[in-house]
Amino acid sequence: MHVSFSDCVRVAPDVLFRLVSDEGVLVNLNTEMYLGLNPVGARMWHVLIEASSIQAAYEQLLKEYEVEPSELRRDLEDFIAQLRAHELIETRSDAA
Amino acid sequence: MDSASHRYCVYGIEIASDSPLALPNYSHDALGHVECLQAPGPIFEKAIENAVLDSLSDSWYRYAVIGDGSTYVAWDSIGEFLVTSDGRRIVCRRADDCFTESFQVYMLGQALSFALVQQRFEPLHATSVVVNDRAVAFVGGNAFGKSTLAACFLEAGDRLLTDDLLNLEESRDAVRAYPGPPRIKLFPGIARRFLGAVADSVAMNPDTSKLILPIDERRTCCRPLPLDAIYVLAAPRDACRLHDVTIETLPPRQAFIALVSAAFNRRVTGRQRIERQFGMMTRVTELVPVRKLVYPRTLDRLQEVRNAVLDDLDRD
Repeated sequence: MHVSFSDCVRVAPDVLFRLVSDEGVLVNLNTEMYLGLNPVGARMWHVLIEASSIQAAYEQLLKEYEVEPSELRRDLEDFIAQLRAHELIETRSDAA
Repeated sequence: MDSASHRYCVYGIEIASDSPLALPNYSHDALGHVECLQAPGPIFEKAIENAVLDSLSDSWYRYAVIGDGSTYVAWDSIGEFLVTSDGRRIVCRRADDCFTESFQVYMLGQALSFALVQQRFEPLHATSVVVNDRAVAFVGGNAFGKSTLAACFLEAGDRLLTDDLLNLEESRDAVRAYPGPPRIKLFPGIARRFLGAVADSVAMNPDTSKLILPIDERRTCCRPLPLDAIYVLAAPRDACRLHDVTIETLPPRQAFIALVSAAFNRRVTGRQRIERQFGMMTRVTELVPVRKLVYPRTLDRLQEVRNAVLDDLDRD
């Protein structure tokens, strides 16, 4: 599924997230799917959820990590696709 | 049904029973209460006459959630149990030719776990020993060697806290582990090797040679203890060709998944339980180190495994 960087990311209903040390754990109460996030994944999750758009999260993460912009963009797209596939997030356009 | 005049304590739960059980007497504040009462066969027949047995049920094991929310669970040649939806009462019937010890293992393990979960506890499938007056837990699937490793600790003079089911209570800065029944389940060769005589033992069920061995009070602990560490045992197939004993701290996300996977009772599902499990296991992950323990599956090496665990605990 296409990811528009103007969209914003919100936690899907019935999904719980918790930071444990610097890592993250998630569960979808409907699917009973658990997921663990390493420290980078946990940070990406936090920034995505807090940011006004995926683009804003991308810019924030670009400041924090020494990474090629194209690589970060690809990683972020993959990450969002995985989270959506597990019904852990919803993406919404600004207009919605 | 007679009144529940016998009072005991196990897993931190007060058990009021109408028949004597091989448990320590009730002596301190309990986390919860369960009444265990015997009933004749027709009570169970009537309870499940309209119930749909779970698809995994077979001639040996039967399970159903019945109309009033109670759980029906039965093992052929062992007995049958009805656990009320609030987890406060277990109605039970022992099969005619089942040993009392064997029946109590199922009642105080599998059947009681439904009551614990209904009372919002989250027991782990774990065996725990006492080292330096603190609890150390071993988690892993069936046949991963939890009880065998514990038996090695017992041989060396450590005490048993619980075998197979571990009930935990978490507070703001610690997790307490509660004692189980004073017995351990082992195969005969392992029992002879680590505990000596097996004369007082009976088989768990007719289809296994695994024995239920009573452990005397000098080798058990009957009070809750702070949980010092949780060791996740590697699957035997992953460890059989290894030569070294290794202990590795799991990253929190892996520790969490290992603990969720070690839930004692996976029959009870649903949003409330998942939510509770999530909260409980994240807190335990934050409070207790969870480590992967990998070792060759050779009885001769178990003392070395114990030493490695003791060294690891000392490093903390």
